[in-house]
Amino acid sequence: MKRKLLGVIDATTYHEDLEDLLTHRSLAALPFAGRYRIIDFVLSNMVNSGIRSVAIFPKMQYRSLMDHLGSGKNWDLNRKRDGLFFFPSPIVDNDGNKIGSFEHFAANMDYFYRSTQEYSIIANCYTIFNMDFRPILNWHSQAKCDITEIHHQDGRSMEMYLIKTSLLIKLIETRHETGYTCMKDVVTAIQNDYSICHYDYNGYTVMIDSIENYFSTSMKLLESNIWKQLFIKEQPIFTKVKDEPPTKYSKSSSVKNAMVANGCKIFGTVENSIVSRGVKIGKGAVIKNCIIMQKCQIEENCYLDSVILDKDVKVDAGTQLTGTTRSPYVIRKGTKQGALMNS
Amino acid sequence: MLLAGGKGSRLNSLTKDLAKPAVPFGGKYRIIDFTLSNCANSGIDTVGVLTQYQPLVLNTYIGIGSAWDLDRKDGGVTVLPPYSESSEVKWYTGTASAIYQNMNYLKQYQPDYVLILSGDHIYKMNYESMLEYHIEKRADVTISLIEVPWVEASRFGIMNTNEDLRIVEFEEKPSNPKNNLASMGIYIFSWNILKEYLEMDDRNPESSHDFGKDVIPMLLEENKKLFAYPFKGYWKDVGTVQSLWEANMDLLNEECELDLFDHDWRIYSVNPNQPPQYISTDAIVKESLINEGSTIEGDIEKSVLFQGVTVGKGSMIKESVIMPDATIGKNCLIEKAIVPCEVKVPDGTVIRSFDDEIILVTEEMLSEFYTAY
Repeated sequence: MKRKLLGVIDATTYHEDLEDLLTHRSLAALPFAGRYRIIDFVLSNMVNSGIRSVAIFPKMQYRSLMDHLGSGKNWDLNRKRDGLFFFPSPIVDNDGNKIGSFEHFAANMDYFYRSTQEYSIIANCYTIFNMDFRPILNWHSQAKCDITEIHHQDGRSMEMYLIKTSLLIKLIETRHETGYTCMKDVVTAIQNDYSICHYDYNGYTVMIDSIENYFSTSMKLLESNIWKQLFIKEQPIFTKVKDEPPTKYSKSSSVKNAMVANGCKIFGTVENSIVSRGVKIGKGAVIKNCIIMQKCQIEENCYLDSVILDKDVKVDAGTQLTGTTRSPYVIRKGTKQGALMNS
Repeated sequence: MLLAGGKGSRLNSLTKDLAKPAVPFGGKYRIIDFTLSNCANSGIDTVGVLTQYQPLVLNTYIGIGSAWDLDRKDGGVTVLPPYSESSEVKWYTGTASAIYQNMNYLKQYQPDYVLILSGDHIYKMNYESMLEYHIEKRADVTISLIEVPWVEASRFGIMNTNEDLRIVEFEEKPSNPKNNLASMGIYIFSWNILKEYLEMDDRNPESSHDFGKDVIPMLLEENKKLFAYPFKGYWKDVGTVQSLWEANMDLLNEECELDLFDHDWRIYSVNPNQPPQYISTDAIVKESLINEGSTIEGDIEKSVLFQGVTVGKGSMIKESVIMPDATIGKNCLIEKAIVPCEVKVPDGTVIRSFDDEIILVTEEMLSEFYTAY
């Protein structure tokens, strides 16, 4: 397997609907489930499928993504041979949201030329799923397909493609003659010489493309049947580890139906919420239906309902913030919320 | 040089398959994490870990030391097991002989000073400050000491000093202690003194090759400059089931000096990489430390839960320590107990202490419980 499949992750995607959460980071680096970034899912799936060479193609705002991935050590991708590669786009304004831009690949052709893996899997960076790619590779070679597009069982494309590396190289090299700018162009072309197959995947899959669906997908994690499909002991989702101590619950704390990461200190009430690493929740504070990102500090007697707090937000004592599940109140990274500001 | 070969026999079944420094502690750590993190935080980048008793778990855990940032091109962490020479296998018979048998390791680095540590204790300490003190005092040996309760003094190596903190007398486990300043088993030696005296000790057939019993008295006899370095702060020898439990409970006390949340002196460990903990609608969690990968559906009070622990509905865990991957079924009551790694406690089990003695749960105990009811 390690000599068969190459992993390619397109991390250029930007969704305007998520703007409030993407001012400091790319979509790939969006925090999720208390301790992960969205890209951890596809990257871990690749590693768990035996892929040993993964190329990440980011565009803008990739500081936080690079900081997160580092040498690839947490995914066991800090290798002498193969490993993790990072190919930022040299073009600033290429048309966004095309998964697998050939122009972007073309700027890094040497990677494809040098790789010996027979097949490549090209994937987007914003899908929440836990999937073994090996069965698809078997299916693909048996069905004698040129390109396999992975579909969710509802028929929607998951924007992931399996293709022979040699054919991928050919498509990149001939992009000006064919007019194909990305993988999607090839598979949606009315007529071409390739046999395009669809592989139906029926596991839990969500593509994060709006605040509303980011919020609802996060809340779904509290349902054990969803949770169990994403966090599988044999196929763990890897992430950048932090040396946070276990979470401390105080005498005054009350926590119900919540997912809590390490390094938190909880003195208040938490219900139906996702609490990330290193969060402090003060005495008398009530947190309901919220996503609280890393290192937020919520002081005493605050009331937060249906709020997303981005990283490092400080909420002063007594502050009340309320959103709705359809439109959660989003507080941008590193800001301070005072009781008087919102009264 | 970190001595990590201890058996810790008073920890009973907890150390059946692993050395004492590898015993889980504090919801996420192993005992040795504290000393290794102290080394890393004190800027020490060359650490020899001497292992002997049941070394598999410990060796695997330490690996190449990356968890403590000790995977270095020069130095880093080196696990030093006993080895055989052409004529005999040399087990580590005492603390001094263990170091002596690794003189070649030390000689490779030609150090100016050697810090000798034990991997059995829970504490945070800046060894760099201790070294500065050693240099300032122009000492041959500096020994770190801590005030212990008078009643416990006879369990320790007790130091008697003059006003200048120069050590004048050292008594190993005295029956009538004159002082309550105990050795923490932390020594800084100037390299030449260490080399000379370990060689001397090796030649002495009467010696039990122990720092406290043999080497330190010999140095005092020869009027070498031994200084005491007073340590203030949390320090605990977790040598018994009771003290291991107590040290875990100390972490739940807001006033406890051992702050795991201090970002300036982090305690590093091998991170298990598990999803966040899930606290269900039925759970009640108070005054506890809970690690990632746990699923809690019962009541948790004043307890420490490690990674991957599951507690079923209707169960009550009180003043207990639940080690990694243990499963507590439904409607159990566990009070003042330690549940070791991977133990499965069946539904309806009641474990509680009536005489305040901490119960170390074993598989045999659970099967007996089931035969009895």
